[in-house]
Amino acid sequence: MTKSIETMWKEGFVNEAHLTAPKINDLYNRKSENIVDKLKSMFDMNIKAIMVGCVIMFVMMSLIGAPFLGLYICFLLLPLIIIAKKELNKTVNLSKGQSSYDYLMSFNTWLKSSIDTYSGYYKIFYPLFFLGMAVQAVVSKAGGKLIALLVEKIPTDIILFGLPYYLIVAITLVTLFFARYAEAIYHWDLSIVYGRQFKKLEELIADMEELRR
Amino acid sequence: MGSDFYQLYILPYAGIIIKICRAYTNSQEDFEDYYQEVCLQIWRSKDNFNKESEWSTWVYRISLNVCLTYLKRRKSGDKEIVSNALPEEAIDDSKAFISDDINELYNAIKHLSETDRAIILLYLEEKTYEEIAEIIGSNTNNIGVRIKRIKDRLNKIINLKD
Repeated sequence: MTKSIETMWKEGFVNEAHLTAPKINDLYNRKSENIVDKLKSMFDMNIKAIMVGCVIMFVMMSLIGAPFLGLYICFLLLPLIIIAKKELNKTVNLSKGQSSYDYLMSFNTWLKSSIDTYSGYYKIFYPLFFLGMAVQAVVSKAGGKLIALLVEKIPTDIILFGLPYYLIVAITLVTLFFARYAEAIYHWDLSIVYGRQFKKLEELIADMEELRR
Repeated sequence: MGSDFYQLYILPYAGIIIKICRAYTNSQEDFEDYYQEVCLQIWRSKDNFNKESEWSTWVYRISLNVCLTYLKRRKSGDKEIVSNALPEEAIDDSKAFISDDINELYNAIKHLSETDRAIILLYLEEKTYEEIAEIIGSNTNNIGVRIKRIKDRLNKIINLKD
């Protein structure tokens, strides 16, 4: 190689007018592929989906004779609407005109705080959701028959709230499992969708921090 | 997008956007997507422009920030790919530019980390160390050292190919 990279660049772009800009098609209505916009639209979708989900859930549960469970699930989902709205508003400060480091840092801070907020919510949601389903199953007719069958197969004298003790223990253990691992389940779910992007973000920030030292 | 805005504030700076997007993409299709995304974000961010810096510096910043956080959906699957999802081996990019040298240089640049790509592009665009540090958000003193290292790496890659 005889030419320096500076010369290669200069000669390559000696006449910038020759650079052809791609055609712009309906840019204004184009769906953004930026991660911030993607997450924002995900939060936006959350709000709409939960609202619709609440109505559907209530109607469906009422139809199968469990209107209280429908109401209970709606009640559990409502905080998610408030959280998603709050997180949506926070993204307003994420200006892409900042320096790359500041932009990535503000994005990372927002992302972490969002994940923390959602994690906190799911820690309560998952166990309560399971508990609601379990209680409904226990008090339903089919559930009653199933419990009777269970007591017949595994008889016991210890009955709590009209249920064999081992069923109470099982429900408690699963509820505790969800309470303990809710955060991990949420993080796992996120990492499936955005794992690579999050890793890339961490690497970028680490690299830029090295440059700042 | 108002076509006036595009004509007045984007098209005259299309060279900057093209040069940056080329360094972060592997195909013409990706390049066009990135270009459009940058234009969209420039338009969306126009009200945040505080006139403390040049408009061209603003365009550099947005172009880089968009390229650094772009998500592209694969045609054949559901998973997102990120802009640094390049194979390990040398990438023979399509001949995007007339000059063979510049195509060769771009292929070498694509072997660099995302941050290094940003730095070398700004350096080649004759930005001062202060300007590069301001756009990237780093320490000016480290920029010179990093540029030297990047140039050595690029020369090595290019020489290996020759």
